Amino acid sequence: MNAVTMNSLSKIYAGGKKAVDSVSLSLSQGEVFGFLGPNGAGKTTTVKLLNGMLSPTEGSTSVFGIEPSQNPEKVHALSGVVTEHAQMYDSLTGIQNLIFYGSVFGLGETESKKRGMELLEQLELSDAKDTKLAAYSTGMRQRLSLARALIHQPQILFLDEPTSGLDPESAQNVHSMIRRLSAEKGITVFLCTHQLRYAQEICTRYGLMAEGRLIAEGTLEALRSRIHAGMQVKLKVKNMPPDLARRTDDDTYELPIRSEDEIPQLVQQIAGAGGQIYHVSSKLPSLEDIYFTLTGKKEELPQ
Amino acid sequence: MKNQILAIVKKDIRGITSNHRMFATLLVVPIVLTVLVPTLFILIMRFAPTESPDFQKLLAMLPLAEQNEDTFKNMLRLLLNYMLPTFFMLIPIMAASVMAACSFVGEKEKRTLETLLYCPLSLKQIFRAKVLAAFLLSMLVSAISFAVMLIVLETETCLLAGFFLLPDAKWLLILLLVSPAVSLIAITLIVKTSAKAQSVEDAQQGAVFLLFPVLMLLVGQFTGVLLINAWLLLVIGIVCALLAVLLLKQSMSHFKYETLLK
Ligand SMILES: Nc1ncnc2c1ncn2[C@@H]1O[C@H](COP(=O)(O)OP(=O)(O)O)[C@@H](O)[C@H]1O
Ligand SMILES: [Mg+2]
Repeated sequence: MNAVTMNSLSKIYAGGKKAVDSVSLSLSQGEVFGFLGPNGAGKTTTVKLLNGMLSPTEGSTSVFGIEPSQNPEKVHALSGVVTEHAQMYDSLTGIQNLIFYGSVFGLGETESKKRGMELLEQLELSDAKDTKLAAYSTGMRQRLSLARALIHQPQILFLDEPTSGLDPESAQNVHSMIRRLSAEKGITVFLCTHQLRYAQEICTRYGLMAEGRLIAEGTLEALRSRIHAGMQVKLKVKNMPPDLARRTDDDTYELPIRSEDEIPQLVQQIAGAGGQIYHVSSKLPSLEDIYFTLTGKKEELPQ
Repeated sequence: MKNQILAIVKKDIRGITSNHRMFATLLVVPIVLTVLVPTLFILIMRFAPTESPDFQKLLAMLPLAEQNEDTFKNMLRLLLNYMLPTFFMLIPIMAASVMAACSFVGEKEKRTLETLLYCPLSLKQIFRAKVLAAFLLSMLVSAISFAVMLIVLETETCLLAGFFLLPDAKWLLILLLVSPAVSLIAITLIVKTSAKAQSVEDAQQGAVFLLFPVLMLLVGQFTGVLLINAWLLLVIGIVCALLAVLLLKQSMSHFKYETLLK
């Protein structure tokens, strides 16, 4: 069974805004899926559709075979959700919050407390367990939200911008936790973020969203081949022959090539034309490069 | 399932009682109505002249068993068995509006509503938990108010006049039927409006107009125009209970996540 299936899923808001536009996608169990796109791309709307908070205007979706618009509470029993709008109670302490949500998810009080303590430990919040949430920093709140989403040992985690507001170190911690959860427990992760660089570190597969549409989907390798890119060569050259590469700085240039095999010939060509080469390096296109290439926001690679 | 609902009930009640400002608001109205007002009334009756013809006229209208007894005792009876019962319709309305802070709109303001909606309970069950929390608290406040009122009243009459005053059978109807039914109407209205409202104050206004009939009834007791009796209370109680059930049913079928999260 797929963890998530979307069939031409669309959502038009009451105001007429088409936030999600015929998205078809499926996630296998245990995948860490990166659902990526800038603000306004429709990521949060998709998470709400998958949890039954919104009903699809067209198309359908299911989570572990359950249709969220029909049986939202059954989907909720299997899923943990972290979004920026889902806060907890300021008047309760960290552990009191976790015990409350544990009980609401059907765990007994002692079990909730035990699970809560373990999660606080894992997320390095043990010291703040008896502190009221009102005194938590953004990063602490974010980590407590993750603990809350995991309290009932969900099969799937929906993480909507889980590292926004975190310092790089905390973000790193959250990432390694996500990786560990998927590796050890086989939890499926649906990770929404506009920080494409972060996603590249932890996801196994990606969906790229732009203005409600899914413009591409696949592993990093698949997406790279999709844009016909080999790689990007970076050069530092004095007396560069004209029109050979795009100039990025004083003497530095960038140039797309299909594979490493083209580098020797390129170097010879530059040297032959009188260029003095100080530096040559190549890198594979990042998710950001791929995204911008696909959305046409930067120049496309030569075919 | 029951434990999950109870967890929400417990959290909501604790949310009020642990908040000093809200807890004070919850206490102030019952204390004024069931301790301050009767005490002032008794003191005035005791130490002010009550032999004016108007007073006597009012007394003559009252369906008091012993018309020939002294004015003070009759006035006390008027207080205990006609005025104070109407207060027990005001108290649950007040308690319900304080609980609005925990209902949907309160959670929305604290940005905790979405989190709660992601739990594996249906909207109906969450709605029920919210109503139950407010109802239990409101009944608790009513019961404590009644006990305190009785103790204060009996002590005062005993000290000042040397007799005990008996609450009549109407109180049973008030405490077991009218007060719970009024409370349920107020709560349902507030929880229901709170689903669409954008602030706690908006939701509280949903219950304000409930105060008018109760105030009219109260004025009725003072002027003798519409005196409550067991039959009237029974009718009010049954009508309110039916209305409460109807409102409850009707509002439950209207709930959708989308309207709540707007
Ligand atoms: N409740 C709403 N009513 C109308 N439009 C909305 C609503 N929520 C989001 N939108 C619009 O839908 C689009 C997608 O929003 P969203 O799903 O939040 O994007 P993302 O999470 O990728 O930033 C945006 O243009 C946003 O303005
Ligand atoms: Mg978003």
